Amino acid sequence: MSLRTFILGLSASFGVAWLAVIVIPYLKMRDLAPVPFPESKNTAAIFNPKRTGRVAHGAKVYAENGCYLCHTQVIRPTYAGNDLYRADWGGKKEDPVRGDTRRETNAFDFQGETFAHIGLTRMGPDLSNLGHRMEALRATGVDPEQWLLLRIYNPQLNPKLWNSTCPPHPFFFSKREIKGNPSTDALPVDVGPDRELVPNSDARALVSYLLSLKKDHAVPASLNFTPVKKDDES
Amino acid sequence: MSPITSTTHDQDALLRAGIDRSLRHPVMFFLTSGAFWLAVSIFLGVIASAKVHSPGFLSSCPLSTYGRVFPAHLNALVYGWGMQAAFAMIIWLMARLSRKECTMVGTILTAGHVWNLGVAIGVVGILLGHGTGMPWMEFPSFAWPVLLISYFAIVIGSFIQFRVRPEGHVYISQWYLLAAMLWFPWIYVTANTLLHCLPGHPVMAAGINAWFRSGMLFLFFTPVALGTAYYLAPKVTGRPVFSYSLAKLGFWSLAIIAPWAGMQKLAGAPIPYFLPYLGAAATALLFVPACAAAVNTLRTMLADRETLAASPSLRFTVAGIAGLLVLAVSAVILNLPGSSLRLTQFTLSGYGFEILALYGFFTLVMFGATYFVVPRVTRREWISRRLIKVHFLFSVYGIITVALVAIFGGLQQGMGQEDWQQPWESATAYAKPYSVAITFSWCLILFSNIFFFIHLLLMWLGLGRRSTHPTLLVHGHHPSSPHGAEGDIDNAGPGHAAVH
Repeated sequence: MSLRTFILGLSASFGVAWLAVIVIPYLKMRDLAPVPFPESKNTAAIFNPKRTGRVAHGAKVYAENGCYLCHTQVIRPTYAGNDLYRADWGGKKEDPVRGDTRRETNAFDFQGETFAHIGLTRMGPDLSNLGHRMEALRATGVDPEQWLLLRIYNPQLNPKLWNSTCPPHPFFFSKREIKGNPSTDALPVDVGPDRELVPNSDARALVSYLLSLKKDHAVPASLNFTPVKKDDES
Repeated sequence: MSPITSTTHDQDALLRAGIDRSLRHPVMFFLTSGAFWLAVSIFLGVIASAKVHSPGFLSSCPLSTYGRVFPAHLNALVYGWGMQAAFAMIIWLMARLSRKECTMVGTILTAGHVWNLGVAIGVVGILLGHGTGMPWMEFPSFAWPVLLISYFAIVIGSFIQFRVRPEGHVYISQWYLLAAMLWFPWIYVTANTLLHCLPGHPVMAAGINAWFRSGMLFLFFTPVALGTAYYLAPKVTGRPVFSYSLAKLGFWSLAIIAPWAGMQKLAGAPIPYFLPYLGAAATALLFVPACAAAVNTLRTMLADRETLAASPSLRFTVAGIAGLLVLAVSAVILNLPGSSLRLTQFTLSGYGFEILALYGFFTLVMFGATYFVVPRVTRREWISRRLIKVHFLFSVYGIITVALVAIFGGLQQGMGQEDWQQPWESATAYAKPYSVAITFSWCLILFSNIFFFIHLLLMWLGLGRRSTHPTLLVHGHHPSSPHGAEGDIDNAGPGHAAVH
């Protein structure tokens, strides 16, 4: 076999797979057709979920510090895993207004990010709807932002998370002397007399990003794979 | 023996000695700096693994947080050790098999230094918090063109050697190596341009990344290790390859199946449904090329038990090929959509599978080749039999523990994750004891590889034994050299090898 035939053979065997698995899906996914959303109030609307918060900066901090190694951001459909059955992973089981909002992740859920942090392992819980779990905390009188900052500073400080395997990240915070009034952002951690613990910009961006993780927006019928409930018929 | 054959034999020996001499510094440079990165990577692996069960360990310093140490560990292993060991084998084997001396030593050494600089900047970049967050591609985004250009400068000489080689049979090792040399830039450029330069859909980007990792394992590291094993097995035992048609079947089935694998890691994510299923099917089907090559090389090596006991090259290679068999079986049992894939998708098993492929198979074959090549290019014998034995025992037992514990611990962890009626914490608790075992065995492997690095460095400095007797693992008299007639090393000067 000549070098020419050999290289042609290799290019063919690799190239077909390369086109079918990488190039064509990449081009198709690059320009996803907008999905009409006739159920919404505005009948001419398209499905366009919004996110607020420092998404781009927060996602960068999330990537640089390897959160994706232990936390995933995907709710698999039931054929691929049991994620949807967990009460607060795929959405809220009992939302006062919308009822059961749990759904699988769809292709429009990663707006504002360049790389979807699907994740490698689940040493910690899935974060797809962390924003909602934090909102639920607010109802119990806890400030979600401060709860997350403390959680990032040192997970083991929280007695409920005593056996968490998440490492502390003290380098996101600085200890400084109190000059004048104490900072309103200072964490309730004792770091010595006349000293306070304040989060830096990266920590705030990360928390803002984490609070923006809410992937249970109502979806148009064409994207809704939830089986129709038959309660009315019974 | 007739005078003509004797002259041909002398010419052959001269040619081989000339090739080995021309490659002394490039080969030793890649192996030694590779061994250094291997030790660095395992050191980082020990820290990362310790933090899985003791999260407070070394946590006050941003450089040593788990999220940075773990990617640094894997990237140093892939680009620092894996790629450089592969370079050493590619340039040496392609020169030997094309029967051409290396004329580009300066280019290769310069490019090798640039490569090491790129890896060093990349690893430090990750530790300083400039990682990209894309697994196996965490080096800051300016690093990949540097690595790509030095890659071309390193292997271009081997392409040219193959083009200008004397006409004749193309051996199966050359097929595997040439293919790896073509596949790597194709995969690397595709993944890096699509993720860094032409960002598309974020979920598809994650899919391309998963395909990239699988491609690096099965379209670069696997063919390089198989090409090396197909060279060592017949060379050291002095027997022909067990079945040449099986070798061809193994090669072409790998070429056809492997490019489809990888996206099963995104099962259930919002990408076109056929991609994860194709990936799972292709990964399971890799059983065919892996088994074909493993059975073929094992049948060749196991035919000569006496040599197998004595030769360090052969012993490491057999262990590596055994690792390939385990890899082939786990590729099937870990990737069945609907049953096992959901258990392994987000657990320790993924890490176990990657480490099994990178260390349990590829690295062990590279160690085997190192023990064969280094005495030839340095014209010295290995200093200590005991060091080789310790290296073998610690490496093999260490990696069996890491890979098997991670793979089966991961299955346990997956069952915990799928049991949605139990609180999430119970799933996390499953993984903890296994991570303690992993830390312990990385420590053993680190210990053995520090000595491997020192042994290599001494050999490069010319401090090896000056002897015509190779360093073997068992005492006793051998009627002929266990390296086979062609494998003789001649420390008295080129052309003086004993004619058998």
